[in-house]
Amino acid sequence: MPVHEEVIEFLKEVPPFQFLEEEDLYSIVPGMNMEFYPKGAVILQEGGPPSDALRIIKKGAVQVSIKGEKGEELIIDVRGEGETFGLWSLLEGEQKTTVRAIEDTICYLLPKERVKHLLDTNAIFTEYFLRSHISKYLDKALKERIQKGLSQREVERAIFTTPVINIASTEPVTVKVDTPIQEAAKKMAEKRISSLIVVDEEDVPVGIITDRDLREKVVALGRNLNEPVRNIMSYPLKKIDGRRYCYEAIMEMIRNNIHHLVVVKDGKLYGMVTNHDLMLLQGSSPVSVAQEIRNQDSIDGLAEVSKKITGLIGLLIKEEAKARTITRIISEVNDSLIRRVLEIAEKKFGPPPLPYCFIVYGSEGRKEQTFKTDQDNGIIYRDPGTPSEATEAERYFSEFSEFVKESLLRCGFASCQGNYMASNEKWRRPLSVWKRYFSEWINTPTPEAILQSVILFDFRALYGDTDLARELKEHLLNTLKGKDIFLLHMAKLTVNVKPPLGFFRTFVVEKSGEHKNELNLKFRLIAPIINIVRLYSLETAIPETPTIERIERLKQIHPVMKEVGEELAYAFEFVMTLRLHHQYEQVLSGREPDNYINPDTLTNLEKKTLKDACQIIRKTQEIIEQHYMLGRVM
Amino acid sequence: MLDLIRYFFLKRYTLSTPIDRARYVVIDTELTGLDPRKDSVVSIGAIEMEGSKILLGRTFYRVVAPACVDVSAVPIHGITPQETMECPKIEAVLPEFVSFCEGAVLVGHRIGIDLTFINRELKENYGTALTNPSIDTFRIYKWLKRLEIGADAFYEEPKESETLFDIAGAFGITVNRVHDALYDAYITAQLFQRFLPKLIERGVRELRDLLRIGQSEGR
Repeated sequence: MPVHEEVIEFLKEVPPFQFLEEEDLYSIVPGMNMEFYPKGAVILQEGGPPSDALRIIKKGAVQVSIKGEKGEELIIDVRGEGETFGLWSLLEGEQKTTVRAIEDTICYLLPKERVKHLLDTNAIFTEYFLRSHISKYLDKALKERIQKGLSQREVERAIFTTPVINIASTEPVTVKVDTPIQEAAKKMAEKRISSLIVVDEEDVPVGIITDRDLREKVVALGRNLNEPVRNIMSYPLKKIDGRRYCYEAIMEMIRNNIHHLVVVKDGKLYGMVTNHDLMLLQGSSPVSVAQEIRNQDSIDGLAEVSKKITGLIGLLIKEEAKARTITRIISEVNDSLIRRVLEIAEKKFGPPPLPYCFIVYGSEGRKEQTFKTDQDNGIIYRDPGTPSEATEAERYFSEFSEFVKESLLRCGFASCQGNYMASNEKWRRPLSVWKRYFSEWINTPTPEAILQSVILFDFRALYGDTDLARELKEHLLNTLKGKDIFLLHMAKLTVNVKPPLGFFRTFVVEKSGEHKNELNLKFRLIAPIINIVRLYSLETAIPETPTIERIERLKQIHPVMKEVGEELAYAFEFVMTLRLHHQYEQVLSGREPDNYINPDTLTNLEKKTLKDACQIIRKTQEIIEQHYMLGRVM
Repeated sequence: MLDLIRYFFLKRYTLSTPIDRARYVVIDTELTGLDPRKDSVVSIGAIEMEGSKILLGRTFYRVVAPACVDVSAVPIHGITPQETMECPKIEAVLPEFVSFCEGAVLVGHRIGIDLTFINRELKENYGTALTNPSIDTFRIYKWLKRLEIGADAFYEEPKESETLFDIAGAFGITVNRVHDALYDAYITAQLFQRFLPKLIERGVRELRDLLRIGQSEGR
């Protein structure tokens, strides 16, 4: 029948219906309806009757919005052809958003009973909605929480919504590479600017001179003012695409310890953005905190500034930053704090007898820090050439690391419970010893070795001679090749802790004790995801450490992650967000942040999403069990 | 029977029913030709609407054996004489069709023609006729277009030769190559669906208003 065929042809192109068998399509189409909504028509109304059907947009587009605090309309999503809406309200019996046609829109309606039947009987159908709705939910969850109580000033959001190009100064002032320093300085003074872009003969930007260069390289060194600017310019030029958001510029500046970024548009020089521009946009920004950290010359000063980090997190939460952005920025700020401590330590103890690299691992290594941060760090130094050199290195790094530990303690970094710190002599060693550690753990995977691998293998360089860390990383990735027994043990650990979902899709909570009726987000959900992703990262020997970055990479190369990677990433983001908000509320009310939440306090939508997260973890664990353990003697 | 149908109609609907709540059955017929004296019905298609909602599962489609087969119509509707010979006679499907339409406002593109043929058969076989109110989408189209353009003395009515598919195309309705009576009814339903919000916007709120501007001529 041509009428039904037309609908079926359409559905064959639309996920998740495209995954259904043709006969299933033929059986659902007669139960469907077709509606037309003229542009502007309200299809579903926030607080109104819940949706009675899943609507699939055949043509046109709709906008999904919620009411803000002052009754304003906050648009949270726009959906177009082939996308659906109305599922959650249909399942929950509550309409929490307003859906309005923003074009003339035609929808196919799949009635509630049919939808429920499909969700119950068709795994692909269910999975699809799990995936696409977790991502859509993320934004909504943030909005919901923000409305709950945290008031915000418009300006505070600006760094996340303003493209760099909007605040960049245009028509940057340039000088040629062979311009004398004095002439360049005069130009800066005349134009009252703090930097000049240096261009070559063909006007291609090659570097920058800032007032800092004039101070540090000219005045301080008594350099001849007739030398060309090429001799003092900073290069390579750090650039940022004008379409990027301001917070990304902020992260770039913190990372490189610079105050100027060249803004490019369509690959061409457009202008310049400075730390000052960003600070104007933002009363107290991550940049200004990082800047303050850098300005401190004493541990006392640093301890004082470090207190501002918690406030910074609150700010980021209010700015609706995603969990991954928040943890990254926290890590950048923490990194600069640790670097400053190390610089102060070097000043105090004198230059190190051998090149060294200060590495961090655990959550710090993955850049996934939140409020409560333990010290997880170590020191790799170059192998000493003589016994006396070895003795001297041991003495120096012992005192040095003890000072670092105490300093970090004062700045709010708690001691590591397992004593995985450079102050523990086991974790400050020459490169060859570190290599031996790693080889031993991989070749003889005792329970202790596995535990150490889990923490240490997420290491990254933070300060010093990064070549040392790079060599160790290479050694690790090479040693891993073909080490099935080690991977099997990692796999066992990975499937050991199951997500807290019971047989009837109810949450498994603590039965007694301090956290009765609560569940541990970190232990039960976050760690299992991290472990899954680490296992696959070691299996494929990729160097990345942050979980989200690992997933992005693995999605390209690992067959299992191709399938579940995106969902795992959403699940991870969701649980991390939940934890951050939970901890922030605790901090605000003067309590110690922990990882326990009572699932009863979540909204229905949050519960459902949390359950979905549990299911994707469980599913992946099952794949791992099948792959690694079937037919093997455990 | 006639009184019974009228009774049901009056009982279920009053003229004050809002047009986006009424029950409609959109119909189309394929004919051997347009002369009621010698041509006849080849197939009947119908699809139900609940307000502006098209119910994709509530359809009616029957190919019937016509009293006379005009081979010249074959290229249009694609039903060969052979096919229709194996189909039931129209008398056999009429009661089913009448009950499908029961209590609904009938809608069709130039529905007067379809009703002339159907009612002739109903009279001949059962001594009755469809009494449902009926709406001609072509009349509504002309009415809307007149208002939209702001007709003046130089306004030209849409030509009678303008087909359903021309109009549907102009409203962005996708039209498949292959069509039969049901598919044409479905296209008509989509057109009517587009008209409804426009009508409401122009003050056509109740069935009585709709009938005033869209009641089919000649039955």
